Amino acid sequence: MAEELIRMERIAKSYGRIQAIEDVSLRVHQSEIVGLLGDNGAGKSTLIKVLSGAVPATSGDIYVRGRKVNIRGTTDAISHGIETIYQDSALVTQLSIARNLFLGREPIKGPRFLNRMDKRAMEDVARDLLRKVGIEKNIPPSTPIGSLSGGERQAVAIARAMHFDSDLIILDEPTNNLGVAETQGVLRFVRNARDSGHSCIFIAHNIHHVFQVVDRIVVMRRGRVVADDIDPKRTSVEEVERVITGMSEYEGRGGRGDGAA
Amino acid sequence: MEQHSLAQRLIARPELGPFVLLIVELAVFTAINPAFLSPQNISNTLAFTVELGLIALAMTLLMTSGEFDLSVGSLFGFSPVLMWTLFNAGITSLEIAFLVALVVAALIGLVNGLFVTRLKIPSFLVTLGMLLVVRGTALFITDGFPQRTWNAGGQWLAETLVGDFFIGPFRVYMSLLWFAAAAIVLGYVLTQTKAGNWIQASGGNAGAARARGVNVSRTKIALFILSSVMAAIAGIISSIRTSAANPNSGTGYELEVIAMVVIGGTALIGGRGTIIGTVLGVLILRVMRNGIVLIGVPGLAYNIFIGTIILGMMALHSQLERRHQAGT
Repeated sequence: MAEELIRMERIAKSYGRIQAIEDVSLRVHQSEIVGLLGDNGAGKSTLIKVLSGAVPATSGDIYVRGRKVNIRGTTDAISHGIETIYQDSALVTQLSIARNLFLGREPIKGPRFLNRMDKRAMEDVARDLLRKVGIEKNIPPSTPIGSLSGGERQAVAIARAMHFDSDLIILDEPTNNLGVAETQGVLRFVRNARDSGHSCIFIAHNIHHVFQVVDRIVVMRRGRVVADDIDPKRTSVEEVERVITGMSEYEGRGGRGDGAA
Repeated sequence: MEQHSLAQRLIARPELGPFVLLIVELAVFTAINPAFLSPQNISNTLAFTVELGLIALAMTLLMTSGEFDLSVGSLFGFSPVLMWTLFNAGITSLEIAFLVALVVAALIGLVNGLFVTRLKIPSFLVTLGMLLVVRGTALFITDGFPQRTWNAGGQWLAETLVGDFFIGPFRVYMSLLWFAAAAIVLGYVLTQTKAGNWIQASGGNAGAARARGVNVSRTKIALFILSSVMAAIAGIISSIRTSAANPNSGTGYELEVIAMVVIGGTALIGGRGTIIGTVLGVLILRVMRNGIVLIGVPGLAYNIFIGTIILGMMALHSQLERRHQAGT
């Protein structure tokens, strides 16, 4: 097994008196795609929000490459190499692809006080990235995000995460509202990201999409991890569905009530 | 998507509509009254144009960031009143009075920005409140009477701001050069710089910008300050040119300035802005005001034309926007 990248240990999060997740542990290795499954309210989103810095955990620890880190906001998560791509990917529709890719980290050309963006460099990198992520159409980097399709927007978001060397890319329902061809495109982008050394956490309602792309499946139910080592190559979709709904006695390694590995 | 031809890209630009409108305006007015293009008329139109224009340039950046400022008209009146009151009372020199007026304007902009970003109150309400406070202060400290400004003659500061010279038959005011310089600098900031990218992102999708580490609040506060300071400079220039610092001057300018900016193609909801468009918008409204008087339409009818232009341009921009979003 490759080197461990992320380890979340005994994470709990409560909103007032409501316990959203409890005693959850999760590991992600280098160049691994982990599928995170669970019914509505199982705690997937809360777990991801904790990891991406959107909400603070009530208790528990997060380790990146074995070092304990403190994630108090999205910028903390990004600086630790954790990038989250939401359904309505966090892009500015009015700005071009290149300007979105570099938003917040624009390269400067010439004297500093002129604050001039190096547009040429930005567009060159953008063109290169779009090819790398697997977009086959010739889309100029100056195209505004607003005129891209949903799948192309996801591609730009994934490309951005790849470029800024995010070790872990969290994809929250990236295939929602996408057509068949678009979905295949996004799954291909995710595989390409893994092949170039990035790890991913892939969250989707559609189990078939998850099966097509992930290396390992983690299932959550009622705020706990109930299975964390399901191999999609050796397990059927129906079996996983039963784990999600609690109709199965399948207990992966570190099963019910004990998410720790 | 294949590369569009130059013609297609020109048509897609938001500045094309206002540009055509300006040409049509000039052609119609000149056809009806050739005196419209006389050097004297052009000089007069330009002199007054730049004072509102300076405010419109700053407002363009502010509106691109998703906010607007209704207090600019009151600052236009208040700042010269403050400056001339300090000077006429012999408290300070003109230069110091000028600096004090600008610093006070900057502080007012800062307060606007803090209310909007920290307390999350819509800029409409914050700057409406500030409008009343500032205008009220101007009226209160002057008892409603205009301040004397004729001591300005010969002062280097006054000459630098509004001194005039002739290029051939054209009388050019220094303020025109300041307007041109401001347009170039702010156009550069908006389109070429990192700051410009942040301004557009703040207005387009503040959440996304924040997630990328863009300091949205600081960007907006800086633009509120810029807006107030530009309004103060415009008011001071106007007071020197007309030899009057009237606490009531600038009333209603905020709406005219916002009209200029949106006619030029800047989005009212933020995210997209154009300095070239604003320069065209400023010229369209000023030429209209001047032209309808010259061709004999009663000046009182001015607002009918302005309103019609605003409605027409908004319809055009929304049409273009829809085609743009459809990806064609």
